[in-house]
Amino acid sequence: MLRDKKGNKKKSLLDLSVAAGGIMAYIVYKRKKPRTIPLGDGWWGVGEKTLSEDQKIYPFQVETSDKEIEDLYERIDRTRYADPLEDGKFHYGFNSTYLKKVVSYWRHEFDWKKQVAVLNKYPHFKTKIEGLDVHFIHVRPPHRENQKVLPIMIVHGWPGSFYEFYKILPLLTQSHDGVVFEVICPSIPGYGFSEASHKQGFNSLAAARIFLKLMERLGFSQFYLQGGDWGSLITTNMAQMKPQCVKGLHLNMCMSNRGFKVLLSLLIGPYLPFLVGLSREDVRRLFPFFEKNVFEMLRESGYFHIQATKPDTAGCGVNDSPVGLAAWILEKFSSWADLKNRDLEDGGLERKFSLDDLLTNVMIYWTTGSITSSMRFYKENLGSNLNNRVDFKTEIFVPTGFAAFPNELMHCPKSWAQIRYRNIQSYTFMPRGGHFAAFEEPQLLADDLFNFVKKVEKS
Amino acid sequence: MWCIFHCYTSLTCLSHVLLALVIGGLIYFLVQRSKNQVLTTEDGWWGSGAPRDAGEDDTIRSFRVTTSDQELEDLYRRIDLTRPFPSLEDSQFNYGFNSQYLQKVVSYWRNEFDWRKQVDKLNQYPHFKTKIEGIDIHYLHVKPKKVPEGTSAVPLIMVHGWPGSFYEFYGLIPLLTDLSNPHNLVFEVVCPSIPGYGFSEAPHKKGFDSVCAARIFHKLMKRLGFQQYYTHAGDWGWLVTTNMAQLEPKTVKGLHLNFAPPSKPGLSMALSMMLGRHFPKLFGFTDFDIQRLFPCMEKLVVESIKETGYMHIQATKPDTVGRGLNDSPVGLAAYILEKFSTWTSHDFRNLDDGGLTRKFSLDDLLTNVMIYWTSGCIISSMRFYKENFGQGLDAPHAKIPVYVPTGFACFPNELMHTPRLWVKQKYRKLVTFTPMDRGGHFAAMEEPQLMAEDIQKFTKIVEGKVKE
Repeated sequence: MLRDKKGNKKKSLLDLSVAAGGIMAYIVYKRKKPRTIPLGDGWWGVGEKTLSEDQKIYPFQVETSDKEIEDLYERIDRTRYADPLEDGKFHYGFNSTYLKKVVSYWRHEFDWKKQVAVLNKYPHFKTKIEGLDVHFIHVRPPHRENQKVLPIMIVHGWPGSFYEFYKILPLLTQSHDGVVFEVICPSIPGYGFSEASHKQGFNSLAAARIFLKLMERLGFSQFYLQGGDWGSLITTNMAQMKPQCVKGLHLNMCMSNRGFKVLLSLLIGPYLPFLVGLSREDVRRLFPFFEKNVFEMLRESGYFHIQATKPDTAGCGVNDSPVGLAAWILEKFSSWADLKNRDLEDGGLERKFSLDDLLTNVMIYWTTGSITSSMRFYKENLGSNLNNRVDFKTEIFVPTGFAAFPNELMHCPKSWAQIRYRNIQSYTFMPRGGHFAAFEEPQLLADDLFNFVKKVEKS
Repeated sequence: MWCIFHCYTSLTCLSHVLLALVIGGLIYFLVQRSKNQVLTTEDGWWGSGAPRDAGEDDTIRSFRVTTSDQELEDLYRRIDLTRPFPSLEDSQFNYGFNSQYLQKVVSYWRNEFDWRKQVDKLNQYPHFKTKIEGIDIHYLHVKPKKVPEGTSAVPLIMVHGWPGSFYEFYGLIPLLTDLSNPHNLVFEVVCPSIPGYGFSEAPHKKGFDSVCAARIFHKLMKRLGFQQYYTHAGDWGWLVTTNMAQLEPKTVKGLHLNFAPPSKPGLSMALSMMLGRHFPKLFGFTDFDIQRLFPCMEKLVVESIKETGYMHIQATKPDTVGRGLNDSPVGLAAYILEKFSTWTSHDFRNLDDGGLTRKFSLDDLLTNVMIYWTSGCIISSMRFYKENFGQGLDAPHAKIPVYVPTGFACFPNELMHTPRLWVKQKYRKLVTFTPMDRGGHFAAMEEPQLMAEDIQKFTKIVEGKVKE
């Protein structure tokens, strides 16, 4: 207990050096923490990898034929409807009575040949990467003089496609204060016109690497990224793999981590939101948590569960039955635009979307027969515990912007996003819109994207 | 001071005694209450529109399964229109029903399977239909050809599940209604189809759950003139017959099950999960129990998640998931037969052919699929999941134990393994618990001999007790 003066001095010197050592070790540790994820490589074609790969880019046209349309009509005419439950609305899934109306439009008024012409208004291409034919559209702005032309890749999700972006493309390729985009919209391998993997294990990391190779092949060394649904995970992976190439990452959906910080904010949030970094709007969108997030998630994630475990079984019937496919896909365009749509007889489907647009998206899945491979993406990504994957433990330092739409499936407050996205330059609460933001509210999304990009370009 | 202290202690003593009496009384009261707790239910109406004022038509009509050239041509056309999508290299049945093997099954279906012959086989037992609560209920009624002198056949109702049907019992029925062994009891068997399945009409109103099915089946048995009867079931049938026992414990003489997942985990179950691996004897766990239950996380949680995707989507969006399956016979076959593969043994997921024909013939498997196909009942069969899970785990019947004599046949490859301790949690009068040597979820179809023996064993004991 009693020490001499010399001992005291020695002790405090020791304490100081230990503290200094500790701080240094922490700094070194922080720096050593990986800021990128490994690129890896892959081969997804049939059989063994070939020695060399054809790297040419081929123009591509969407086509159809009378035979294809007749086959579709025959199947539609063979549909065996079942009576819906009285007063079931959209609570049991896609309502049969309303489905008949949609199908009648599809059979008698929807003009697929006209829609194919619409699809072809932008130039399509295909190129082989890692053994697969990767499809994409490449849209250059019509006026390039005196503009800052920024390359951007936009990635879709499920059950969407590149077609979701057809409303936002004209807005992005038009100048905004001297800034304009050159847009690349690929199809995820296994979706639409991109060839499906023949090997197991094709997950978002593989898709990210393939898309990075695509941008490289197109001659872009630096570019922006935008994504929602699976697109948000893939573009995030791209930013983690080659942050030096990604000038900015804009997302309309964020998969937040679970963890202590999130738990704490859930417990304290309703009462003292500002203490845990939640704004009033965050509170409005998050709580009551169990009802809004847990129960709703359970009610809406059946498709997720079966696609992540038995995609081959789930895809089988819907690849033969166009009406079955339409019900499976369009149910999401109903609930994910606004969960309240389940209380409506018609699922509120045509409030935000036109039947022509909705059916064109369905036809992309139908004519390519890609529903099963699109479902497999769920199993490949969720087969092993996602939280243990390297990308979920790695932070993102690329400038990031979030557009938080009110009817998105799960709200992710800025404070939660900051756990992994360490360089958030903009976070905007959008006034309206749901999961299919680009499809539903192209103007709002485009505006936010331009604002974000301008901010990044200035700094 | 000493006086006050003395008074105080006596008072405390007194209050402790009083407290003990109150608590004891409360426990006794609760136990008594649960013993007498009977599941209650209200009447229902499931037809379209409003119930008619005139009384219900309660006639029993003969029914025959029929088919036509048109039905077969439509089936073949659709099979020919299938657009198969190849399964990933080397994925076997791990992504669901393997596409390459599915083409083989479909080829048999298209070119060799004889539906007319199978329809004759279905019609070998007498079928009937009768209207109850506004919907047509289909059932088989099989009387034994001969009954030993001075006895009567034991009435037995057998209830199927999903994705099965009354056809699952076709191997079992002859063993129960046959008098070849004089030491055996002879049964009179009734096999209904759950409303919304096969040839039973689907309910037109929301809310048709297992309790409603139980109530309807009681009405059916009464209409057929039975006052007391036994039940046998697995899968959904387990819950329907359990509800029957809870609704009318005096009517159900004995409840025989091969599937009994705990609806509400109780204290003993939770303790056994935590300590069972180290103190198996304490919970009556056998080596096999340990093998099937531990490690809990992997065997109970992870395995369940891998296999319950269908349950999740059927319990939330039945109309969506069933939609495509009602147009695509191949899709329907893949969806249903995947279960006949995986639920017979989980190891079958690693086989290129899913081990499908190891325990079942393609004829039997496809006959079951054809029942779903020709009746177009896949959507309504799936709705049963939503109606039952709609209330979560808090349905009244989940909290009420069962005091009717119960027999449990424990098959080794059943989806959810339930050791004796867990079964007893709910079925308080467990008369027999038989660990079986082989067999999975579709036990009646896979191992009819073993099942028949166990039903005999169980019923004899209960009948013997009753005679006493």
